[in-house]
Amino acid sequence: MRIHSIARRLIAAVVLSQLLLAAGLFFVAVYFTHRQLLAAFDTELRGRAMGIAALVHYSEDEHPVLEFQQDTLPPPFERRNADVYEVTDQTGKLVARSSGVSSLALPTALHPVYRDFSWRGETYRALRLSRVPVLDREANTPAIDFLTVTYASPLSPVDRTIARLQLYIAGGCVLLLCVTVPLAIWGLRRGLRALDDLAANAELISTSNWELNPSAEAMATRELLPLTQAMTSMLDGLRRAFTQQREFLANAAHELKTPVAILKSTLQSLLQRPRSEEEYRAGLEQCLEDMARLEKLLHSMLRLARAEQWAAGSLQRDLAEIDLRATCEAAIDSITPLARQRGIEIRVSSNGPVPVRADSEDLELVWVNLLENAVCFTPPSATVRVLISSDREHGVVEIADSGPGIPPDELPRIFERFHRGDVSRSRDTGGYGLGLAISKAVVEAYGGSITPKSEVGVGTRMIVAIPKQS
Amino acid sequence: MRVLIVEDEQRLAENIARSLRESAGYAVDCCFNGEDGLFMAESNPYDLLILDLMIPQVDGVTVLKRLRSRAAQFPVLILTARDEKESVVALLNAGADDYVCKPFDLGELMARSKALIRRGKGQSAAVLRIADIEISTADLTVRRDGKAIPLTAMEYRVLEYLAHRPGAVVSKTELLEHLYDFNWERFSNVIEVYISGLRRKLEHGDTKLIHTLRGQGYMLRA
Repeated sequence: MRIHSIARRLIAAVVLSQLLLAAGLFFVAVYFTHRQLLAAFDTELRGRAMGIAALVHYSEDEHPVLEFQQDTLPPPFERRNADVYEVTDQTGKLVARSSGVSSLALPTALHPVYRDFSWRGETYRALRLSRVPVLDREANTPAIDFLTVTYASPLSPVDRTIARLQLYIAGGCVLLLCVTVPLAIWGLRRGLRALDDLAANAELISTSNWELNPSAEAMATRELLPLTQAMTSMLDGLRRAFTQQREFLANAAHELKTPVAILKSTLQSLLQRPRSEEEYRAGLEQCLEDMARLEKLLHSMLRLARAEQWAAGSLQRDLAEIDLRATCEAAIDSITPLARQRGIEIRVSSNGPVPVRADSEDLELVWVNLLENAVCFTPPSATVRVLISSDREHGVVEIADSGPGIPPDELPRIFERFHRGDVSRSRDTGGYGLGLAISKAVVEAYGGSITPKSEVGVGTRMIVAIPKQS
Repeated sequence: MRVLIVEDEQRLAENIARSLRESAGYAVDCCFNGEDGLFMAESNPYDLLILDLMIPQVDGVTVLKRLRSRAAQFPVLILTARDEKESVVALLNAGADDYVCKPFDLGELMARSKALIRRGKGQSAAVLRIADIEISTADLTVRRDGKAIPLTAMEYRVLEYLAHRPGAVVSKTELLEHLYDFNWERFSNVIEVYISGLRRKLEHGDTKLIHTLRGQGYMLRA
């Protein structure tokens, strides 16, 4: 693809249009001036022809004949090439002819009345007036006598004026172009500077600098505003996604260190000295247990990543309508062994099916996580209550335990990844502090909300609202 | 020597404890949260504290600062999953003596623990010498003229503890407190048994190494 420059194209267009304008102006001006000059020339020509005609008079004889009064001729237009004239009477007899002209080589049929012709190496313009009455009238003169007057004058004064005019206009245009072209180039470059600034700013963006700092000029340019806005919002989205990924990776790497340290120390202490077969077997079993926990952590982290990706809109899914109650019951089934082990009863109450549009596996995961916490928090032989209800827009599940409660200052932090409250850290659950973070991410991916209500010494209630239509 | 491990991952704490007992012959106590850790560290005379940073109730840095503010003298080795320079500097400035990053090498942790204990007692060599006896803390052996002297585990512990503080009077109570972990019943007369065993194996002729100061305790001196 050829790379072209907006600035150069605009400058070329502006200069070209200025040249065209100058040329057009030039031709129009010359054309109209030429016409005006010719019209003036023609009027003058007619006046002179009439003047010539006025010089014809009758002689004072008994039988008067036409005579020409040569001594009162008007001054010629041109000194170099004098005007020429010829006067004939109605019979075609020559009455007068300018001196030095043997036979005026004027074309005989002068029609139209004005005509340009070339004579003695010069362009002449001629006027022929027919049927000009003789002004001199006496008692004995013929009833009417008509003259035909032909008068020609060189066009060189008009040509000279036109030539001078052309020179003036062309010179003026060139002078104007000399001023306006640099002005246009400067203006265009200045106008495009905002774009250059924006490009330079955009160039500074990297994974360590997400700020697009458009110059005040770029911000004040109407054409650039949609671009700056789009870039800013795009950068914002990118930064959030990038930061989220990086944080997740850092958290994951950090959180993997402990299980890996456990596994490594188990193996190393096993190898520290020769051991019996039972000791090796016990050690290997320990390693397997450690591995199982590591696996569970990995699974949780991937699940969290997926839920967040989905919430960010980069993952699409088709959702069917499911019963909220059924997902709760499935979750309770899977948590029952743990509850029974701790002597805890899980009691469910609901008023019929609550249809929501969601993935049943996702919701089950949320309930399992919340129930697991509730079961771990609740003292043995107490009850965990699950309340399923619905309002107009949401299906609502409330999971309440009678555990020690969460202190108010810790309440906002319980949804943080890898955050672990003290009791949930009990080793038998193998929790890594991801359960609540995953639950929150999943619920929010559905556009729902998860609200913890806790009173120290009384218990904790987790209220989850899932929209019926996602 | 007696070590306290404060680490919320029970499995990890047990692995470290087992390794310390087997490869260093130390008495080891474990606890799994900061509060217990603080209590244990303040109520028992430890020779080393191995402290994880991410522990529940009271976090590791707070434990460290609180102990140091109460003039606890024992060395502290930090277990951390972080290895950024800033946090390491902050830890050392808060009174830590050393740190290892998870996942660490158990052998390295042992070596660092031993080194910290040596330094804590004012020793720098890994091989302690009393008269013509060499005590190698790296492999828990005692030699005279290159010939190994077979000692029981408890005899070695008593000798090592005394050898770390040559010329100082060590009471029976001190020995009991530093050689047994929390779970052991302590009877002061067992110390006398170990001392007499050591005397029998180490002393010959009229060179006395372990001196008894009546009513005060024992002293190792060439």
